[in-house]
Amino acid sequence: MGFLAPWFLAGMAAVGLPVFVHLLRRQTTVPRPVSSLMFFERGTQSSVRHRRLRYLLLFALRALLVLLLALAFARPFLRRKTVLASDKLLVVVVDDSFSMNAPTGAGAGTKLDEAKREALAVLGGRSGTQKAQVMALGGQMEVLTQPVEDAGELRAAVAGIEPGDGHGTFGELGRGMRAMAETVHTPMEVHLFSDMQQMNMPGNFADMVMPGNVALVLHPVGTAATPNWTVESVEAPGQLVDPKKARVIAVVAGHDTPAATRTVSVVVNGVVTATKKVDVPANGRATVAFDSLDVPFGESKCAVKIDAADGFPNDDASEFAVKRADPERVLFVHQGSDGRSPLYFGAALAAAAQASFVLQPIAPEQASDIDPTKYAFVVLSDVPSVPSILEHTLEKNVEDGGSVLVAAGTAMSHREHIPVYGGDVADGHYYTSGSAADAGFTTVGDVDAAHPAMKDAEGWEGAKFFYAAAVDPGSARVVARLADGTPLLIDKQMGEGHVLVFASGFDDLSNDLPLQPAFVAFVDQTARYLSGEERVGGARVVDSFVQLRNPANETAGAGSASNHATVDVIGPDGKRPLSLKEAAAAESFQLSHAGFYQIHFANGRDALIAVNPDRRESDLEPIPDDVLKLWSGSGNANGVVPAESDAAAEERENVSGIWWWFMLVLTIVAVAESIVATGYLGTQREEA
Amino acid sequence: MLQRFLDPAVLHGISSLDLVAKTVVDGFVSGLHRSPEFGFSLEFAEYRAYTPGDDLRHVDWNLFARTERCYLKRYRGETNTQLTVLLDASNSMKYASGAVTKMDYARYMAASLFYLSIHNQHDPAGLIVFDDEVRNYVRPSTRVGQLPRLLAGLEQAEPAARTDFGKPMKHFQQFLRRRGIVLVISDFYEEPETIVKTIEPLRFHGNEVVLFHVLDAKEIFPDLRGPAVLVDLETEQRLEVIPDYVKHQYRAKMDRHLAEMREKTQAAGMGYQLLTTDKPLDKALTEYLTLRQASGAAGRSTHRGGV
Repeated sequence: MGFLAPWFLAGMAAVGLPVFVHLLRRQTTVPRPVSSLMFFERGTQSSVRHRRLRYLLLFALRALLVLLLALAFARPFLRRKTVLASDKLLVVVVDDSFSMNAPTGAGAGTKLDEAKREALAVLGGRSGTQKAQVMALGGQMEVLTQPVEDAGELRAAVAGIEPGDGHGTFGELGRGMRAMAETVHTPMEVHLFSDMQQMNMPGNFADMVMPGNVALVLHPVGTAATPNWTVESVEAPGQLVDPKKARVIAVVAGHDTPAATRTVSVVVNGVVTATKKVDVPANGRATVAFDSLDVPFGESKCAVKIDAADGFPNDDASEFAVKRADPERVLFVHQGSDGRSPLYFGAALAAAAQASFVLQPIAPEQASDIDPTKYAFVVLSDVPSVPSILEHTLEKNVEDGGSVLVAAGTAMSHREHIPVYGGDVADGHYYTSGSAADAGFTTVGDVDAAHPAMKDAEGWEGAKFFYAAAVDPGSARVVARLADGTPLLIDKQMGEGHVLVFASGFDDLSNDLPLQPAFVAFVDQTARYLSGEERVGGARVVDSFVQLRNPANETAGAGSASNHATVDVIGPDGKRPLSLKEAAAAESFQLSHAGFYQIHFANGRDALIAVNPDRRESDLEPIPDDVLKLWSGSGNANGVVPAESDAAAEERENVSGIWWWFMLVLTIVAVAESIVATGYLGTQREEA
Repeated sequence: MLQRFLDPAVLHGISSLDLVAKTVVDGFVSGLHRSPEFGFSLEFAEYRAYTPGDDLRHVDWNLFARTERCYLKRYRGETNTQLTVLLDASNSMKYASGAVTKMDYARYMAASLFYLSIHNQHDPAGLIVFDDEVRNYVRPSTRVGQLPRLLAGLEQAEPAARTDFGKPMKHFQQFLRRRGIVLVISDFYEEPETIVKTIEPLRFHGNEVVLFHVLDAKEIFPDLRGPAVLVDLETEQRLEVIPDYVKHQYRAKMDRHLAEMREKTQAAGMGYQLLTTDKPLDKALTEYLTLRQASGAAGRSTHRGGV
């Protein structure tokens, strides 16, 4: 405690006043007359002593009154002189990323087991009154306890940390600590128990720097160099028609490994169907391809495995799901006079998508009673007029999750709106009319490569466009634009489905794209996207999200059946991770564990999704010591607090005045003094 | 209605001692449920058959006319009792715990007695005011103006000096030659034996002596909550005392003193009345009347009228 105005303490000398009045001043009393002292006897000494004792309470109150008054005027304040160990918040962070499943090599379990043991030891060494908090650092920071003193709760939280499949990043730890530092102003001591993988470092070192009041203490676990081979990636079709045409390409990578020959196997539903040997260079990669994938009809759980025989067997397999089915039909509605469009589109479709689709051309007038749900998707190729029945049916189909590709070619140039899409369309641009460039055509100017239909968008620059409809994109996503800014490819979400508008034709008259190699890839990706195969098929990485229902559809309150349909997710362990409430409302789901997820989507589709750990976790190379020292903020290995000066500065700022507490007590004492003094005064009057 | 005027606290508000006396006596007499015209004038006693030689003036002719028998009416003879009040005017009589001092109370009492004696009983009344000397003496008389003289004597009787019964007693002897009722009003802060010895000679002349012991209630039951310095009103002596002593030893001493006073005065054939200043005055008046009646009975002579 200190005083802002210590010279006021001189006022404490005034306490001498009550001392004089009560103790030093001779007690004088008003003599009481009596008729005669005939029957009285003297009792002097005991009288004075009794009187002094009697007024002791009053004296104490008055002396206290003076002292409090002097103290209050001296403006006392409190500050924390030193930061005690019990004031520090002990934060124990245990890395439970996928790489922590690797054995330590000492035969003492996994790295996670050792990390937990060390964390428990640190928790056991704290003082009883020091608060501690336990967190897990996997794909994201997980707070397991609040800051508590209960050792049992803390130990249970550490013991309850399960091996994870996520990819940890120390940037996440830095962000988490910085967020905590904004709310927790006491100094924190963060103990990180991790294998300190170099791959866990973020791209920017500043992301993992701790805030000023955080002292980082690193506890590297099992950082010895461990050679590790892994199946880094597998490229396989999510859906296939002919097993003999399916290709599976796997990349086998070695981290800190010598050159070796590894045996790579393809496992389908637990049965090895193909095996190959591959020479993996030292600390390098090798690609192995299987020309067929012998899977039965329906969903199959497949994997590519290697006989790694290394210290980390968990990453020796990469799983993927394959669905074998008959080719799906694609309804291609076109004018009878337009024979080029089905030709080009059909040829591209047959060349791509591993022959998963079969084109079914049809004239508009014949398509009135067509059920679009029997088709993977529908193509309206430059159709000037669509029967209203078909248009209504298509709209409903799109709302329920179906997809339509509309090509707005020259034949639709005089229409005011595009079927199913509904948006306005102005007169198209004929770039051959001479109003454009001298070349008489335009090219693609901007491509959104993030869109699934443009995943392999190479060669679009060479395509010449002679005509493009001027479609108002509205709120729809513009996937590609022409050089003059005219939207070329527009993706509009309607209900659960999509409408993709190509603002030109699929013939080679309005553009020469069908003659370009990019057209095959475009048709391939577009077919996969519109059929839904792209969205659900293939393999995913742990902690990625899968969209269960269309959020725009939810907010818009569309009356589609899927709006209120529940989704069903069955995890790798055979359990349903979603509650009934979540299943009815969840828009997305995080695939937090490796394995196969069986998902029934809101739009009625089913999918088997394989989830693999992030392969960056397979590179077990630790962060160099100098970087660790830099991170922990000191030149020694003890991990001393890097920002002691900051913490000290915070101490100086942590000053709070308490004079008003003194005034409060002073008021109470003054009232008590008045009551006591009044009582004594009344007694004196009676005596007088 | 007038009963409340017997309360000393009420009388304290009346400045005139004459009015005080009148108020007290009227209130007292009305409380007796008797006529305010109560008196001891010629009073019928009995009838007696006429015998020759009796004075015919005493024959009840009305009775004779009705019964044709001759009877004489007999009357009680009227006697006068001299009242002398000895009033202690020492400084100790100034003490008061309330509004009324012991001296005030004694004055009210004496004035009331004088009024009752002179106005109602037509008795001669006198006053001797003393402390350690005889300060004032008003000779007993029934003459016109006696009551105002007595009241003036009371008014002038301011407390001074200290009590000494022995010194003025020899003067009392010369003043009290005719027998009567002697009332001594004092707080009697003296040894009971000394008091009795000093006052006892008054009885030898055939006087009825009554001691009115006037004390304040707080003198009998003192309420001392803390240590205090006490000052003797007569000697100016100071003394520090503690409540514990007052609560126990003082009370015991005072009780013993009062008991001895009662015993020794009664043993000496004197009357004794303890009066506290918070009590009404009727007690003193009743005592006087009782004494007078007894005195009258002792000297009563039933005589024929004119005999």
